[in-house]
Amino acid sequence: MSQNNNGFDVFDPLGVYKNMRDAQLDAWAKVMVELVNSEAYAEATGVMLQNYLSNTGPVLKAMEAAMQQTLANLNLPSRDDVTRLAERLINIEMRLDSLDAKLDEIHPPTSRPAPKPTRAPKGKARSKENQE
Amino acid sequence: MSESENTSVRIPTFLDVCEGWHKAATNVQTLNRLLHTDAAIAQTPKEVIWTLNKAKLYRYVPVLPEEKRHKIPLLLVFAIMNRPYVLDLRPGHSFVEYMLKQGYDVYLMDWGIPGPEDKNLSFDDYTLEYLPRAIRKFKAVSGATEFSMLGWCLGALISTLYAALRPDDGLKNLILLTAPLDFSDKSAGGFSRWASHEAFSPDHLVELLGNVPGEIIDTGAKMLKPVENYIGSYVNLWDRINDPHTVDAWHAMNTWVRDTIPMAGAAYKQLINDFYKENRLMNGTLSIRGERVELSHLTASVLNVIAEADHITPPCQSERVMDLIGSEDKELFRVRGGHIGIMAGRGAEKNTWPHMDAWLAARSD
Repeated sequence: MSQNNNGFDVFDPLGVYKNMRDAQLDAWAKVMVELVNSEAYAEATGVMLQNYLSNTGPVLKAMEAAMQQTLANLNLPSRDDVTRLAERLINIEMRLDSLDAKLDEIHPPTSRPAPKPTRAPKGKARSKENQE
Repeated sequence: MSESENTSVRIPTFLDVCEGWHKAATNVQTLNRLLHTDAAIAQTPKEVIWTLNKAKLYRYVPVLPEEKRHKIPLLLVFAIMNRPYVLDLRPGHSFVEYMLKQGYDVYLMDWGIPGPEDKNLSFDDYTLEYLPRAIRKFKAVSGATEFSMLGWCLGALISTLYAALRPDDGLKNLILLTAPLDFSDKSAGGFSRWASHEAFSPDHLVELLGNVPGEIIDTGAKMLKPVENYIGSYVNLWDRINDPHTVDAWHAMNTWVRDTIPMAGAAYKQLINDFYKENRLMNGTLSIRGERVELSHLTASVLNVIAEADHITPPCQSERVMDLIGSEDKELFRVRGGHIGIMAGRGAEKNTWPHMDAWLAARSD
């Protein structure tokens, strides 16, 4: 009694709403996919990004220069200083890795015991910060 | 009047309405939790065996004794602009866990999160500096002279470059997953169209920002299917919010999707200019650190897995490479599903993973 031949349930208004909603979303999704795959959208995105970068670029550069000057006056290292330091550390790490390779040739790490087989824990959540 | 007819026209009582409100409130609470907390992801035990700058190489603790394991270890290489733990998403639904149970010695390359000091990292560095060093360590620790490598998305691109440039380095088997290699069809997919358009210049973006923020990359990926990503995903979740399996799967995937990372500026520029715009790899004009990349030099056994409904790497971007590589043992495997779904979706355990295991097992002893 409650269903007609199409599986349409007149006593389930939520079901009717869901069907209409899904149909609408599908139609909308197709239109949007066609839109974002169009040449016009690609051009508009490129132009908007360029405009954004052109407008914000000078502001960001001015802010960066002012910040660098302020930090220099306060005798504090700037981001560029820290970056340069980090780059030097990476170079040192590269050298250490090369030395490690030579050490591995002399004392192969395979002589170390491999981790023992175990079963993965099926349990608790860990925060992302603790995963490594 | 029958009993079923009585049920279908029953007028809700006050108790029913209260129950409905309580259920709705619980669902809202669940939704809030899913949107604002992190799921228990990347739970498979592992140890760090190598680090360089932000990159880390992990060795997963085996679950089978040595005599039951395959002799040739497996190295997983994921993309550089997402976190690699999608390969070990959640207990009970993890590719890493699955491969450990099949007897592989599994290693994972994590490129890390680039900082401002890494803005000059390019594919040259990833392919011929970081990856060879990690492979050296991985071979030293495992004691193996031969190995298998699985590259996914841009990880597949790096793996392909490495395999073509270093064919004698012991790479026996190469699995490519949704590998973006051929950009000759500029209208194939949104990324190709946007990136290839003359109005889009990555140079200006990188000059100003250094690294490309994860939010920009994430927004770009989501805008390929805006309705599905910004609305449909949440609507589908709401419909199934009382199903714990759906909720757990959605929570884990959302945790991964939200965890965006920047992409090194030089690598981004190279990706857009050399690959998307000029298609240098396929044209045979790509040089990595001065070495010309000849795909014909790639001689390892290759399994090329293509997602038929991939909107990020459309199938045409992965197909033609099969004609250009020098491998005699090669297979193209098509899977129904999307870019991430073929490995992390519900069907992965029944379709993609068993096929990769069977292909690899036949070549791993």
